[in-house]
Amino acid sequence: MLSDRSPLSLRAAAIGGLLFLHLPILLIFLYAFTTEERSFQFPPPGLTTRWFATAWYDRPDIWPPLWLSLRVATIATSIALILGTLVAAAMTRTAFFGRDQISLLILLPIALPGVITGMALRSAFGIMDVPFSVWTIVLGHATFCIVIVYNNAVARLRRLSGGIMEASADLGANAFQTFRHVLLPNMGSALLAGGMLAFALSFDEVIVTIFTAGSGAEAKTLPIWMLDELIRPRQRPVTNVVAIVVFAATFFPILAAYYLTRGGSETAGMGK
Amino acid sequence: MSAPAILPARGFADRMTATFWRHPRVLLAILLTPPLLWLGVVYLGSLVALLWQSFYSIDEFSGVVKQEFTLKTYAELLRPSNFDILVRTVIMAAVVTLACAALAFPIAYYAARYAKGHWKAAFYLGVMLPLWSSYLVKVYAWKLILAKEGIIGWAAERTHSSWIIDGLLSIPGLEGSSLSTSPLGTFAVFVYIWLPYMILPMQAALERVPNSMLEASADLGATRGQTFRTVILPLALPGVIAGSIFTFSLTLGDYIIPQIIGNSANFIGMAVYQLQGTAGNIPLAAAFAVVPIAVMLVYLAIARRMGAFDAL
Amino acid sequence: MTAAVEFSNVSRHFGNVKAVDGVDLTIAEGSFFAMLGPSGSGKTTCLRLISGFEKPTGGAIRIFGEDVSNTPPHLRNVNTVFQDYALFPHMNVRDNVAYGLMVKGMGRSQRRAKADEMLALVKLGAYGDRKPAQLSGGQRQRVALARALVNEPRVLLLDEPLGALDLKLREAMQDELKALQKRLGLTFVFVTHDQHEALSMADSLAVFNEGRIAQIGSPQDIYDRPATRFVADFVGSSNVLPPDLTRALGGPAEWASLRPEATRLAASGPVSGRVTALRYLGSGTRVVIEAQGTEIAALVPAGQPVPAEGTTTAIAFDQGALHLMGAA
Repeated sequence: MLSDRSPLSLRAAAIGGLLFLHLPILLIFLYAFTTEERSFQFPPPGLTTRWFATAWYDRPDIWPPLWLSLRVATIATSIALILGTLVAAAMTRTAFFGRDQISLLILLPIALPGVITGMALRSAFGIMDVPFSVWTIVLGHATFCIVIVYNNAVARLRRLSGGIMEASADLGANAFQTFRHVLLPNMGSALLAGGMLAFALSFDEVIVTIFTAGSGAEAKTLPIWMLDELIRPRQRPVTNVVAIVVFAATFFPILAAYYLTRGGSETAGMGK
Repeated sequence: MSAPAILPARGFADRMTATFWRHPRVLLAILLTPPLLWLGVVYLGSLVALLWQSFYSIDEFSGVVKQEFTLKTYAELLRPSNFDILVRTVIMAAVVTLACAALAFPIAYYAARYAKGHWKAAFYLGVMLPLWSSYLVKVYAWKLILAKEGIIGWAAERTHSSWIIDGLLSIPGLEGSSLSTSPLGTFAVFVYIWLPYMILPMQAALERVPNSMLEASADLGATRGQTFRTVILPLALPGVIAGSIFTFSLTLGDYIIPQIIGNSANFIGMAVYQLQGTAGNIPLAAAFAVVPIAVMLVYLAIARRMGAFDAL
Repeated sequence: MTAAVEFSNVSRHFGNVKAVDGVDLTIAEGSFFAMLGPSGSGKTTCLRLISGFEKPTGGAIRIFGEDVSNTPPHLRNVNTVFQDYALFPHMNVRDNVAYGLMVKGMGRSQRRAKADEMLALVKLGAYGDRKPAQLSGGQRQRVALARALVNEPRVLLLDEPLGALDLKLREAMQDELKALQKRLGLTFVFVTHDQHEALSMADSLAVFNEGRIAQIGSPQDIYDRPATRFVADFVGSSNVLPPDLTRALGGPAEWASLRPEATRLAASGPVSGRVTALRYLGSGTRVVIEAQGTEIAALVPAGQPVPAEGTTTAIAFDQGALHLMGAA
């Protein structure tokens, strides 16, 4: 017989592994309160909350990147929601020519290393003389956000009994009525979850963004701002304050996405 | 009972629906055209254009891209300084993948086999949150940890074990003034960042191993160790391979982590970034970018040959 | 009588698979029509051809005389009770039932009143505010029925509607469906793989095999006079006799069917065999005799002598009970 109790060593290794995943993030919080601003001295020589005020009042360089990131993430998520849902709807229909190729194509932007996607888009902009702007950033982000929405939508569509769409038509509903009264209400939470994950991914993205954002100060997203601070640190604890904001902006959508879709085999987040 | 057998169409929406029914391809085309324009034309077009440029070369004197077909740029990849970058990156990706697999196994196994109810949810969230939470924030956290004056140095000093770290940092190839400027640091951060990508597919594969199969093995007299080696491990292998596709590919292409943590030795991603940016050598950057694609294709082909996808 | 549904040489091929192959069929208005057959025999595809979820690759389908070849499902005045009921999980029972009326533009209060009326008819008057997930299988089935009937369709299609219910509930629902159909005078087209269900409920039925109709007729016809070996095998408990045995029993060299009730045991005769099994049924005893490699069942009425297992007995039959099915 196999015991249902786990060996102590296994449990210790598993819990140790989870702590390994989480403790480093907690340090970010601790260092936001340190009084030492030039090095990462541990333990902090003293604790203070003044960096939050400094970030809020004295660092105007934080705000434009924050707004830009919010704007980009919102637009990219909206585009991904529309395109991802369209592909998902098409792919749940019966087999058609090129179906496998299309599913591969959707996966490609996250299957290939980001540096390749980024460089490909950048050189394409170069060839076609597209000037860098918010829209070039959005274009890159939406490309890899589509698959996030698609994964969530397709999982839900697969779980929905195909019968209810036929039932709707059988009862006299046209395609638009079926979409509005049957499909959308049943897809809603999956799309919301996909949208939140896409938002989190876009808000945080840096690898592709560096290639598609150009070099101007007005093209600096929050992650690019953070990267600059990592390479050329100024007030280090302020970076921590911003890191907490970035963390929260990704943490809560992820948590929400989980609770929106849990209980199915489709739980959000399996397919980043 | 005088209602007609066929109801009249009540407007545009009804007539469109009838058209979709008569010609299903019309609906399919309407659904697929926008996403295919985006992904198929813009994205795929960019990728093809990139590959194309790897067959151009750069004029050594003027620094201008010569737009004629040549394999010269690929030959340049084999120059020792460039070849070093390829070897270093592939070795790093391989070592990181092995470390991730070793660390992920207990977590995935415990979550799949023993965790129940709330613990199961906790484990799932516990892996998913780090997976999705900010990449840069996580890298930054390790900058804090690995700094000379940081938490590891402090703990080593308190336990009088600084000599272990100093010893590690004096090994040829791993030198650095602190962990955060040593390849060891780069390795640790890679492992940390990509670990969740290994845990989730591994757990999914292990969850497909039915308990009855483990009991059958035990009934047949296998010890715990034998069951583990002969039943669990082979059945978990597809998950390990699926996870390793992520960890391998992500390490191959990353250029942020080695830039922030480590001895600034070059990796493929950094080479691509520098070559297309400051150096302006797009053909060589493109040729470098083809390497991860080629490595991944070979890797996937081997994985498929080993039957790693059959069970997925 | 008008034909409610008419198939003329209808086919539905999926690539090389002939799901439905050259079916001719007429369903009379107001009848309870069953489509019977094993899975994959084409009966469900025929039902979906009527509702419009499949399009024929050949032939024509008429509903009350109107050719529906060009009519999508939502414009066909027929409704379906789906096998898994396909209730809308996000709507309560009342909104489920009122759905068809809503999409046709009926006002809120009016359609709710009609839905409640229909729920009362299927004895679920008190369940309007529940979600489908809170109902039992039998209750869901009634909701699906009400949701279809509220639209006053010209034909009601039922796709194995009782398949998911347990035996007792299934028998109760059979009686209820039959009574409902009589009361409404509506044409029911009922798909099932259960021959007892089909025989006991239908006014007439079609037996499907490999995409074709093997036989069409009244339950009596099908049971007593199966047209083919397949029908005899699938529908009944009839004995199927190979040509040699039929000839030995005094008939022509053709396949034949012989009902156990009409099979007699005799002291002597041209064909005899060994008794291999006995089963007491209350009203009589079922005796299985193996003769010339074929198992033949005979029903011996209570009070008559029953041979012992292992003994040999000859076989006879009532005049006219041997039903011939051709040489093939």
